[in-house]
Order: sequence, then structure tokens, then C-alpha cells
Amino acid sequence: MVEEESVRVVHCGGSELNFRRAVFSADSKYIFCVSGDFVKVYSTTTEECVHILQGHRDLVTGIQLNPSNYLQLYSCSLDGTIKLWDYLDGILIKTFLVGHKLHALFTVAHAEDSVFVTINKEEPDIFQLVLVKLPKFPSQEIEAKELSFVLDYINQSPKCIAFGREGEYVAAVRDFYLSVYFFKKKTTSRYTLSSSKNKKHAKNSFTCVACHPKEDCIASGHMDGKIRLWRNFDDDKKYTYTCLHWHHDLVMDLAFSVTGASLLSGGRECVLVEWRDAAEKNKEFLPRLGASVEHISVSPAGDLFCTSHSDNKIMVIHRNLDTSAVIQGLVKDRSILTGLMIDPKTKALVLNGKPGHLQFYSLQSDKQLYNLDIVQQEYINDSDLIQIELTKAAFGCFGNWLATVEQREEKETELELQMKLWKYNKKTQGFVLNTKISMPHDDHITALCFCNAERSETPTLVTASKDGHFKVWILTDDSDIYKNAVGWTCDFVGSYHKYQATGCCFSEDGSLLAVSFEEIVTIWDSETWELKCTFCQRAGKIRHLCFGRLTCSKYLLGDTENGILCCWNLLSCALEWSAKLNVRVMEPDPHSENVAAVSWSSGGSDLFVFKPSEPRPLYIQKNITREEVQWGVFVPRDVPDSFTSEAYQWLNRSQFYFLTKSQSLLTFSTKSAEEKLTPTSKQLLAEESLPTTPFYFILGKHRQQEDKKLNEALESELVQLPLTENIPAINELLHTPAHVLPSASFLCSLFVNSLLLSEETRSAEEIPDDVSMEEKESDDSDEENNVTEHVQDTQSAALEEDIVYQLSKSEEKELRKFRKVDYSWIAAL
Amino acid sequence: MAAGGGGSCDPLAPAGVPCAFSPERHAYFALASTDGHLRVWETANNRLHQEYVPSAHLSGTCTCLAWAPPRLQAKESHQRKKRKSEAIGTGDQIDLLALGTAVGSILLYSTVKGELHSKLVGGGHDNRVNCIQWHQDSGCLYSCSDDKHIVEWNTRACKVKCKWKGDNSSVTSLCISPDGKMLLSAGRTIKLWVLETKEIYRHFTGHATPVSSLMFTTIRPPNESQPFDGITGLYFLSGAVHDRLLNVWQVRSENKEKNAVISFTLTDEPVYIDLTLSENKEEPVKLAVVCRDGQVHLFEHVLNGHCKKPLTSNCTIQIATPGKGKKSTPKPIPILAAGFCSDKMSLLLVYGNWFQPTMERVALNSREPRMCLVRDISNCWAPKVETAITKVRTPVMNSEAKVLVPGIPGHHAAIKPPLPSTEEVESKRKLGGNEVSIEERLGAMDIDTKRGKDDLLQTSSFPVLLTQGLESNDFEMLNKVLQTRNLNLIKKTVLRIPLHAVIPLLQELTKRLQGHPNSAVLMVQWLKCVLTVHASYLSTLPDLVHQLGTLYQLMESRVKTFQKLSHLHGKLILLVTQVSASEKTKGMTSLGQKAKLVYEEESSEEESDDEIADKDSDDNWDEDEEEKESTKDEDTEEENEEDNEAEENGGDRDVASEKELNGDSDLDPENESEEE
Repeated sequence: MVEEESVRVVHCGGSELNFRRAVFSADSKYIFCVSGDFVKVYSTTTEECVHILQGHRDLVTGIQLNPSNYLQLYSCSLDGTIKLWDYLDGILIKTFLVGHKLHALFTVAHAEDSVFVTINKEEPDIFQLVLVKLPKFPSQEIEAKELSFVLDYINQSPKCIAFGREGEYVAAVRDFYLSVYFFKKKTTSRYTLSSSKNKKHAKNSFTCVACHPKEDCIASGHMDGKIRLWRNFDDDKKYTYTCLHWHHDLVMDLAFSVTGASLLSGGRECVLVEWRDAAEKNKEFLPRLGASVEHISVSPAGDLFCTSHSDNKIMVIHRNLDTSAVIQGLVKDRSILTGLMIDPKTKALVLNGKPGHLQFYSLQSDKQLYNLDIVQQEYINDSDLIQIELTKAAFGCFGNWLATVEQREEKETELELQMKLWKYNKKTQGFVLNTKISMPHDDHITALCFCNAERSETPTLVTASKDGHFKVWILTDDSDIYKNAVGWTCDFVGSYHKYQATGCCFSEDGSLLAVSFEEIVTIWDSETWELKCTFCQRAGKIRHLCFGRLTCSKYLLGDTENGILCCWNLLSCALEWSAKLNVRVMEPDPHSENVAAVSWSSGGSDLFVFKPSEPRPLYIQKNITREEVQWGVFVPRDVPDSFTSEAYQWLNRSQFYFLTKSQSLLTFSTKSAEEKLTPTSKQLLAEESLPTTPFYFILGKHRQQEDKKLNEALESELVQLPLTENIPAINELLHTPAHVLPSASFLCSLFVNSLLLSEETRSAEEIPDDVSMEEKESDDSDEENNVTEHVQDTQSAALEEDIVYQLSKSEEKELRKFRKVDYSWIAAL
Repeated sequence: MAAGGGGSCDPLAPAGVPCAFSPERHAYFALASTDGHLRVWETANNRLHQEYVPSAHLSGTCTCLAWAPPRLQAKESHQRKKRKSEAIGTGDQIDLLALGTAVGSILLYSTVKGELHSKLVGGGHDNRVNCIQWHQDSGCLYSCSDDKHIVEWNTRACKVKCKWKGDNSSVTSLCISPDGKMLLSAGRTIKLWVLETKEIYRHFTGHATPVSSLMFTTIRPPNESQPFDGITGLYFLSGAVHDRLLNVWQVRSENKEKNAVISFTLTDEPVYIDLTLSENKEEPVKLAVVCRDGQVHLFEHVLNGHCKKPLTSNCTIQIATPGKGKKSTPKPIPILAAGFCSDKMSLLLVYGNWFQPTMERVALNSREPRMCLVRDISNCWAPKVETAITKVRTPVMNSEAKVLVPGIPGHHAAIKPPLPSTEEVESKRKLGGNEVSIEERLGAMDIDTKRGKDDLLQTSSFPVLLTQGLESNDFEMLNKVLQTRNLNLIKKTVLRIPLHAVIPLLQELTKRLQGHPNSAVLMVQWLKCVLTVHASYLSTLPDLVHQLGTLYQLMESRVKTFQKLSHLHGKLILLVTQVSASEKTKGMTSLGQKAKLVYEEESSEEESDDEIADKDSDDNWDEDEEEKESTKDEDTEEENEEDNEAEENGGDRDVASEKELNGDSDLDPENESEEE
């Protein structure tokens, strides 16, 4: 056995993905997003996490591609560093120590070796945009203290700052101001929305800003849902703006497409709006995105967009507004009311998901399996609407039954409750609604539990409610002459002195039911539903109840609001022990006698693992998190672990997961467990070697040789190629109105010929060469990009002197060879 | 792991499509179908994860595939000072999938990036690749082919490390020993190679047909006393094309015995084999073999030496469709692959067609020799693009689901009669049966007499119709009567119906009240009349609580909104109407009372019978007494006691039932108030 290491609290999955705008790689193959202290690299095609870039010691607040090298990524963090990564291999290249807390990061193409960051200097709410010069030293850690101030009094959010065309100006918005700083003039002009004080326009403060990539145009989003397009802003007097109004609530984010032809906007409506040509008429929509759009970003290649949503997902969207991939984390939209459960069938963690859904989250693969639509109503996201909320859920009978409670409370008196009982249909491998009970109780349901004893014949469910009753529901035979059916009916209604029923719990063998009525615990016989005994400690309302298991089944545990944990002995009907502990979460381990209790004090949360029968806890860990722990659950391990040390034996058969108030899912882990998975991978990083394609044979080889020749030529003499502007054919093509142009097929050969190099020195006998060129053309039609690129390459490389381009003998041979190659396979494609 | 093979018409090619579960937790299932597509499925939620079409998928279809051993993501975990929490690594990440093709090339596909990683071509095979195996530690890849050679690849550089002739005919299967130092290869004979020197270590006589699968079944020799050199004493198994036997061989130190140690019988050629390695001597090896006929055979055997007889399977799993209706017979659904889950107690089954397979975890029960799972996969044919993107599953909500609303029986606990012993119940029932028959007779007589006497045809015919309808349960007849809107008519009818028809009428009304609200409005009139007119009769009934419990619950739930006001209102109305009614009846006196006198005599006898029965169980009797008392109180004194609520606090059944009774007098007025 490996040497025991201390148990540590580790984050497990479900980390936030929607904190900042996601960033695409230059080739749109990867997408980067900040996630807590890490930067995650996802593949846009498979939705898989390719790398996790770890190294920051605090929240990562911004990421940008390195404008001078598209295979590198800058990230900044609250820990005051800017790091440069190689994202393909997941390697940290450099760390720049800035010293201030960095809140946002921007890069501009022309400003090499320097980045813009947002810092706050003195007062808590005053943020500055500064330029940081990143010195070039070979060492790993470099101090970058050379800051030059750009803009003051800006918004903390990176959405409120945008850099304009070629980095000539920067626009920042805050409250009712739009400030534009021109780098060349070094002046700031500020535009205030004139009617900001006016009541009618009280809600038109700025929320976000974006700059047109090609023109001098700034788009700003506002609280009232309007988008303003500002032009002529280099002049304080002549500036104009136009309004685009579709959103009925605030505009969350704006982004221009790469060419600037369209503007994307999103908000709480869960709709991505594409404004074409910045006109109010030309709108395209991508509706029903599931949750409000928080960020929008556009890939540098222009083929993909992505939207980050409030339910912790990133959607990758094609240029034609088709969703192509969804990267979904643990949904964290709203408060978790159902608590954490484990689905016995899939072994997945189950909790509230999207509104009205239950999410099934695989802990092993850290992925969402699916959302189960319980409410089955289209979700309309609006701040004023009161939604149907899924408040309780429970699995029973080894996952064969699922009970869900949904409620909608318009006012105090108007409570709508519905309980649904779903049966797992083995034939279709899905849940089927069996019984729908409206208003099962007259007031909120506080607890829901199935009797999960193995010997019980009829499935039994107990609901406890604030109306002072608890109801026992059993599955009965509902068959009639038309069908064979089973359905749930109420079997017993219990109450105790009009106290509110606050919790319920079945004993392990199902023979006893404990129901807590505020301060009092009542024990009922589940056979006859007789009240057996009551326990009362007068120590505040009972918060949680649970029976001991296995050898400790004679104990009942309860914790109260006044911070007392009690343990009653059911045989003697007396208090066995009590302890002063402000328990927030109490969870029994289904595979052992252990009970985990997480207490909360102002200092943080502490974990206690104990057996009800033993006076001393098995394990104590202080300060597992600074936040309050809301829910916890024991997840049985597939394969039991074997910790020999007594303190960790409680982790052998199950793992304890817990959810804090800020909805981060944490668990306990030991080093040794992680080390068991030996890193065999390092050797397995196979080199990428892709095979050569026929196109490569035609173009690639040709190009390589050409490049080589060019290099040679460069050494000796420089080449001048005709610039495209100087070619009359192209000029004609570009400047004649489209309606007078002849057909494209006619122009094509003309156009391509004009791009070819002149054959001044070539004589008429070189016909075969022409033929081969033609052939090349035919292939080019597919690979036109390549050709133009190639031409540009040569243009940029070639400078002043004329050189006659000629194919070498060997090339000619090569080309002829290809002429003979059988291309029938193309037809087969 | 995968039994190799693919879409070739060679009769000696193994059956089945190449497919494999990802290592460790079986999170993914890769399947290379005959149309040349590689599809990777997520086993946990049955979702198509990705689809890849190799560029030459038609000429060089995939013949075999193998997942690379899991690699870990960089895990430089660090302790954070501030929050004391860190990220757990995402665990092992499965990355590369090696695909062998029919033309001899091997593709490495990255499932994380969703693109081709590299292609191993140079110096490799020039014929169909039959099997690929990854070396568990070194990152090497071994492949064998129809060109009789075995090739060792360096996957880092994508180059051939070594190539040697493996057999005189094509080499069809490979397997690497648990310690990674030996390699098993099989064509028709099975050879064990030393990997370092590429020399033959042992020979085993193979099968008559090409061996399609090879697998080591143990990692330790059976007797641990001897020093273990990594290979001696280990068992491995082999399956062959068209062979219905799986052979188990043992590597022995002496090179003599060349026959199989044990063999397992199957129903058809093995297509996919998975096993759990036994870690100690006692623990049996569990073997799941998918046959070409779509069945899974499970074997559990402790490997220790010879066994002459072929072993049969411990359990066979089959899957079939539910034959809908009488005409269609259940059809078998082929199982494509089966893998043991990490707990070794459940099996992950992949079944259905290969372009839309279904994955399911099945718990194993070793006792049952046969398992037939009925699965409906008809809806799997529907395209699931939408769910693939949004990951939303919609559970079925059909009209067959039971709906419980307040007031419907089952929504609240049924009010049961106080539980007597079973015998008494029976006797009571018998009595009741007799009673009814007598009543019926009496009622019939009553009607006859009425018919003869009464002149007012309309008012008289209504009660007759009603009683007849109630007796015969004639829906139309009841409709005719009950759907009247004439308030006066209702009153008169109710007044004239025989007493024995009151309870059936109430029950009928309850049933109708639960129905559509429109019809319920009419029924409310009736109910009000019945309750005001026959309150005194109802209060005399001993088992009233039981009989009208549902009605009470229904009314209580319907008048919830202004509960106290309606209570008061109802009681006042009751007072007034009772007074006026009693005055009226004084004048009218006996209309059909003569017959009732006779009836009462009989009923008094019955009552005495009842009492005798009740006396046997004391509490019952007591309760009845109480009920009667309380009801009498109400009827005579007409008081609105507030002590109802005080009594309720007892929380006992006793009081609850009493409450029902008290409530009963409230019922009608509440009703009225609702109406008004």
C-alpha cells in the first residue's frame, strides 16, 4: 500500500465555464474558457476538454490569443500575473509578474509585446485600463512593472471595453458614459446619453460595447434593450448614433462578426440576434437557447460563433446559425432545491438542472449525461415571471420510481403544487409518468422519502408538509376491464398536534418511519401506522433526521436549529448522547454505519464523520471550505478502495461529495488514490503525422520546391510579380458593375490566366507546359485558396527585380506524370 | 479486446463488426461499421459522441480497432493557500483509437480532438490488418495482417520498429502478456513470442479455422509457491471462426502438452469476448461471450488444471422485442458487445442495430440460468439530432397516467370502517347482502303501490325512475332524472324516494360530482336536497362515515376557499330549512309511510343483529355510540359547537371519524354557499 497521505478537499468538476467570453483558436478547432483558476481548452467538434492549463493561483479573469503567435495564449488572473501558454501541448511558457490584481485582459494586433489590463489602484470601485509592456527575456518568470495609464474610471467587466479598428482607439462604457480614447491623438472624448436623468430614459445605462473591425463604428448595449451604433465619434459635435431595438430586457453582450457585416447580440430572452448590415430590418434569430446569453464571441476565422449561457454552458454556433456543439458544465442557474441524489441506475449525481429539469451528471467523467424534463413547459426567461420550480425529487426502489414535486407560488396564498410519480420503463429505458397528484398537500412539501427497504413488497412514499400532515402513498393495483395498471394512492394521513411536519425518514429495514414535527420527533410503525413514541429535546426545530444503519440501526439522529446534534436510542427510547454542533448537512453512508455531518460557523465549515454508537468521531477535518455547505451526498464507489489508516477508512466504500452555497461541487481525495492511475500517457504522446493527400502531391510538393527556389532566388536576385492592382483584367473585374459583367464561367479562365505569370521568354514550343498549367487550374478550382495564398506569398517575398518564372524540367516531368494519373477516383467521391 | 473482423465476404473472416469499449470505465463504445464510418458512443447516456469517416473508407474499410491505454492529463495539483481546494484531474482521458484497414494501413484517430491523429503506413502491411494490440506500458502498437507478418510500431514517431514473419498463413489475432514481455499470435496455430528477441517461446496447436480472438485470463499462476517468471502457469483463451468452442490453454514450463486445458461450449461463433481477471486463486474468472446469434453466454470458472468435458454457460442473456398484440411474435434483438463493469457484478450490454445501438447496464444474477430481457427499441430509429445537442430527455407523459386531484378517492387516505376481525366482516357482508335483497323487494312493492295510487304522474314517476335507475344502475334512466334543472321537481323527488335509495343515490351523486364540473353543478342541487331532507335518516346509519367518506373529502376540498364562512352559512341554512321542513311535513304527514313501518321493524331487527356483531369488538361499538350521540346532538339541538376543533387535536382515528360526522351536517350548507 502506498503511504497514506492526508485527505484533501478537491474541486470536482462542474466548474464555471461562463465567467468570461470564450476565445476561439485561430483555426476554430479549439475554444478556450476560463474556469476558476484554470483555463480549459475544448475541442469545438467533439466538445471534449483537450487540456487544462493550470498554474494561476487565483481566479483567471481574462484570456486572449497572442496576436503575434496564434499558437499561444495569454491569460491574466487576480493573482497579479499574466501567463503565456502553448495551448496545443498545454505548456506554460512564461509568467509575467505585474503585481496588481488584474481584472481583464486585452490584446491589440499592432501593439506587440504589450497587453492592456484592467486594474484597480486605490479605491475599491475605481478601475483603470493600463498598458503593460511585456519585456522579452528568456527566463520563465519576468517582472513586468512598466505600466502606462490609458483610461480611468472604467467598468470592471471586460464587456465594457472594446478596441476599435486596428487598435486606433479604445471605447469604454460606464453608467451613462461612453468614453473613446484615441491612441494617435492621445485624447479622450466622452459622450453622455443626454436624457439619462429623464425618467423615461432612466434605464438606458450602458451594459456592453463592441467595435466594428473595419469601420469607425461603436455598438453599445443598454439596460433598456436598445443597441446604439455610434459613428463620427472622432468629432465631439458631429457624432451620430442610430438605435436598434429588439431586446425587451438588457443587452448582455454584443459582438461584430469578423468582417463587420453583422452584429450579434444576446440577452435574457435566450435568443441570439444577428443584425445584418446594422439594419433594423435584417435580423436573423437563433431562439430557444435554454438560458440567457451572457457572452458572445466570434472565431477569428469567422466560421463559428459561441455563446456562453447562464446555465454554465457554451454553445458553438455555425455561421449560418446552426448549433453545432454544446459544452455543458454542471448547471448552476438557480438555487439547488432538490439536494444531491444518486440515481441508482446510472450512478449519476442528480440535482436541479435547467429550469424545470433534473440534471443527471456523471461524476466519473465530469460530464452532464442529460437533463430530464419534468415540468414539460416551455421556459420563458423573464425577470417578472414566476416559474414552476422543481423543489423535491427522490428515487425509490432501486431507481425504478422517481417522485418529483414542483411548485409555483405567485403569492403567499396561491400555492400550486404538483407531485409526479414516474416509473422507469425497462422496455423503453426511460421514465413514464404513472401518477400525477395535484395539491398533494395544502402547503409546501418539506420532505419526500421512499421506503427503500429490500423486503418491502409495496413501494411506499412519504411526504411531509407544512400543513401539519404527512401522507403515506402506496402503489396499488388500478386494473380494470380495460387495462392492467398500477397507481399511487394515499394510504394514511398522519399529524401531530397541528405542528408542521418538517422531515421524514424511513429506517433501513423500513419498519419504522420517523417524522419530525418542528421540535418533536415522532416514530410510527410502518405496518399499522401507529404512533409508537415521540422524542422531544426542546432544542429548536429539527433540521435533519436519519436512522443509523447496519449495527447502528437502533439509533436515530437528529439535528436542530439551535445547533444540537442528538442521538436517540430506539430500544430504550431515551437520548443516547447529544453534542453541540451547528450541523448544516447530515448524510448517512449507504454502505456503512458512518454518518457525515458538516457544521458551519463563521470561520468555515467543518466535517465530522462518526458512528452513532461511538462517542468519538472517526474523522474530523476542520475548515473544509470557507463557505457554507448546502448539500452533501455519499457516492458509493464502484470498486472499494483500501485505506488502511483508520482515519480514512470511511472513504473506502463511498466518496463524500458536497455542494457549497456558491455551488461549487467539492469532494475529498487522497494523493495515493490519484497516484494509482499511473501516468502512462507521457510516452503515448504520439507525434502527429498525417498522410499525404493527392492534393499534397500536386500542390504541396510543387510549393515546397517553389519555396526552395524562391529562397535561392532571394539570395541571388529578387523577384517582382505583378501586383493584382496592376493587372487590367482584375481591375476590370472588380470595377465593372455586376450587372454588365459577362457570366462567371467566361471570366474565370480570364481571371486565372491573368494571375499566371507572363511568359515573355517562353517560346511556342513549350506547349506541354501550358497543358499542364491547365490541368493545374482544374485542380485549383478546389484549392483556390491555396493558390491565391501562394501567389500572395510569393508577392510578399518577391520584391523589386524581374525574374522569369519557369518550370524546371523535373517539375514538368512531375506534372506530366500527374496528367497520366488516373483521376477516376474523383468521380467516385 | 475486440474480436477483429469486418465487412469482407471471405468465408473465413470472423463475424461481427469491429467494436470495442474504451478501457477502464467503459465510458465510450467505438464501432466501425461496414459502411466505413467510425462511430463513438457515450455508454452512460447512449448518445452518439462523434462520427468519423476515413478518407478512404470505401476501399479500405476498418477491419479492427483498439483503444490506446488511458493517459492521464497533466496533473500538477497544488495546494491553494486561500481556499484550500483544488481541481481534481478529470481522471484518465481516453484519447487514441487505432484502426486497422483492409488495405493494410493503420489510422490513429484522436477521440478528443475528433480528427485523424496520424496514419501508420510506411513499411507496414500490404494486406488486410487483422488485429491491433497496444502495449500497455511502452506505447508500442502491434499489428498482424493477412500478409503473414507481425509489425511492431513506434507510435511516437509513427514508424515501424520491427517487422517479422509470424506465420505461414495469415496472422489473425494477437495478445500481449500481462507483464508486457510476451506476445501471443495466432493464425491456425498459436505461438508465444518473446518480445525482446522476437523468438518463439511456445507453440500451441490451434483451431481448425483461423483464430479470431486471443486473451489472457489470469495474471498470476494458480500455485503461487513456485517462482513466477511472468508467463509460466498463466492461462489464456482462444476462439476461432466457425468454432463453437472457446479453448483455454496454459503456458507450462515443460513444452510437452499441446492440447487445450478447458473448453467452453457456445451456441455460435464468438464475436466479442470480455472477462474479469481473477486476482487470487479462489476468485473465479468471469467470462462474457457474445455469439454471432446475438446471445451472451456467461461463464464463471476457477481455473485450476484440466477439465475434460466442455463447460456450458452459467447464464445466457437474450434480448427480444415485446410482441405487440397477438399477431406479432417477439423478435430477438442481437447483442453486439458486452463488457463487465468495474464492480464485476453488472454487465454493459450493447444491442440493436449497429448504427443506432442501445447501451444498458444489466445487473447480473448468477442464479438464473437464462435471462430474457424484453426491450422496445422501435423508437430508437427516430433521428435524435435534437437531443444529441441539447441533451434533454423528455419522459413520457401519456393519458394512461393516473391523475389525482383533491377530492378524488386516493388523494386523501380512504376512511376505513373501524377494523373488525375478518370473520365479522364476512358475516356483515352476508347480512348486508340479504338486507339489500329484502330492501329491493320492499322497494319494488313500494313502487308498485305508488304507481297505482299517485295521480301526479310527473312527480311520482321521477322517484320511481330514480329508484329503478339506481337499482339497475341504468345510466340513461339516471340521466333522465338527474339532469333536470327544476328545483321544485328535485325537492319533490327527493322527498318521495324510499329511504333505502338514499345511500345509493348519494353514491351516484358522488361519482358524478367527481366528473365534469358542468354536470357537477347539477348534482350539487340534488345533493343539497338529499342532505337537507334526509339528514335525520342519514344520521341514524351506523356506518355512515365509511359510506360517505369520499363525498365528505370531496366537499371539503372543494369548499376550501372560504371555509369558516361557509361553515357558518351552512349551519344557519340547515337550521332554517329544518324548521320550515318540519312545519311543512306536519301538514303533509304520511304519504307513503305505511310501507316504511314494516320496513323499520325489520331494520330494527337487523340493527339488533348489528349490535350483537358490534359487541364482539368493544371499541367499534363505542364508536358507533359516540357517533350516534354526536349526530343526535346536532340534529336536535342544532348547535354549532366549536369544540370540533378542540376534539381534532387528539389526532386519533377515532376523533377523525367523528370529525367527519360533524362535518357531515356541514356538508349541505357548504354546498349551498358554494353555489350561491
